[in-house]
Amino acid sequence: MAETEPAAGGEGDERLRAEIAAKLKGGLETEAWPRAGSSEMVNEIVGRLRSEAQDDLVAKLVVAGVTDHPIEADDLDQPCETCMYYLVHRRFCELPELMIPVEPTWSCRLWRI
Amino acid sequence: MANLLWLQGGACSGNTMSFLNAEEPSACDLVTDFGINVLWQPSLGLELGDNVKAILEKCVSGEIPLDIFVFEGTVVNAPNGTGEWNRFCGRPMKLWAQELAAAAQFVVAIGDCATWGGIPATAPNPSESQGLQFLKRQRGGALGAGFTSKAGLPVINIPGCPAHPDWVTQILVAVATGRAGDLSLDELQRPKTFFSSFTQTGCTRNMHFAYKVSATAFGQRKGCLFYDLGCRGPMTHSPCNRILWNRVSSKTRAGMPCMGCTEPEFPFFDLAPGTVFKTQTVMGVPKDLPEGVDKKGYVKLTAAAKGAAPAWAEDDIFVV
Repeated sequence: MAETEPAAGGEGDERLRAEIAAKLKGGLETEAWPRAGSSEMVNEIVGRLRSEAQDDLVAKLVVAGVTDHPIEADDLDQPCETCMYYLVHRRFCELPELMIPVEPTWSCRLWRI
Repeated sequence: MANLLWLQGGACSGNTMSFLNAEEPSACDLVTDFGINVLWQPSLGLELGDNVKAILEKCVSGEIPLDIFVFEGTVVNAPNGTGEWNRFCGRPMKLWAQELAAAAQFVVAIGDCATWGGIPATAPNPSESQGLQFLKRQRGGALGAGFTSKAGLPVINIPGCPAHPDWVTQILVAVATGRAGDLSLDELQRPKTFFSSFTQTGCTRNMHFAYKVSATAFGQRKGCLFYDLGCRGPMTHSPCNRILWNRVSSKTRAGMPCMGCTEPEFPFFDLAPGTVFKTQTVMGVPKDLPEGVDKKGYVKLTAAAKGAAPAWAEDDIFVV
């Protein structure tokens, strides 16, 4: 299993972003549903990221339910680009339990605005 | 000369400690410059036992004119409405509070406990605590919804956990110097001069709020604390970022989320696990939005702001 690079930016981000994109395009099934509809569910998923995923990139993607396309839930589009964990200029998810480069049109079930 | 009496009910003394740190004006200034005669205060009074009781009885009877009655802490009613769990000078404190409030020209509740019940009144409220004129947001409390002091004002509520010392001394000076008529109170009987603006007003993290850049962990100097760490600054009425603490800082400036301690619902969500220092959400949208903002407007605003955020907003600009 590939491990997540420490937050670095630049080429390291690009490489990892491409690797993630390839996994998602290749059919990696992630737990995109159910979405984290309540704070309790957020805590549960974040807890799983800490205990099950840790530095395991694939496990992170699966548990967080990362997709390479936006998801609509509760009449709201949930793309990374509007998520509060997303750094626009670095195209990076800063959720401490994820810390992965992403694309603005991706999504995950921990999206929050 | 205005006679002031200060008592504590179900209290931790935090508001007394805060009061003693006042600077503009200081607790000493109240006496030397503004003619306040402190009849007795738990941390300052020299009298003990029967001598304190004699002061209280003289205030109740009118032998000593009581101009300002300050109460800190909850009014404890347990067990079973008797108030016996909080006795003072030979009887339940709740009786002293009621009788002294009736005798006073002005009644001032200091801190969350005296205003709305605060932490002691959190469910299941074993001490059956109330504020003087509120229980949380419900009007009534120990003195009843219709209570007014001899001067015709309801209880003047100065909430906070603790209240900022200068809020306390400035209101006491206003009352003692005959300017109580200038005080405008909000619907929760808080002086509007302090409680019309928000904790967020003056926060140094406002640029991060505007561009929707979040602090995601404690200790980060960049980022707004509202989005993830449970800060209640946009919904809380207080001047914490206008009248700074110790004249230099505030919770949010120091990286600590506002806990909304000047609002009646504090502590929020009854301190349930997972609710403290964590923004509560429903399908990704904060459960409590900045005051006056609806969900649709919030989503539109934040999406647009995020897209417009400059690169510097995502960096730590507070370089040492």
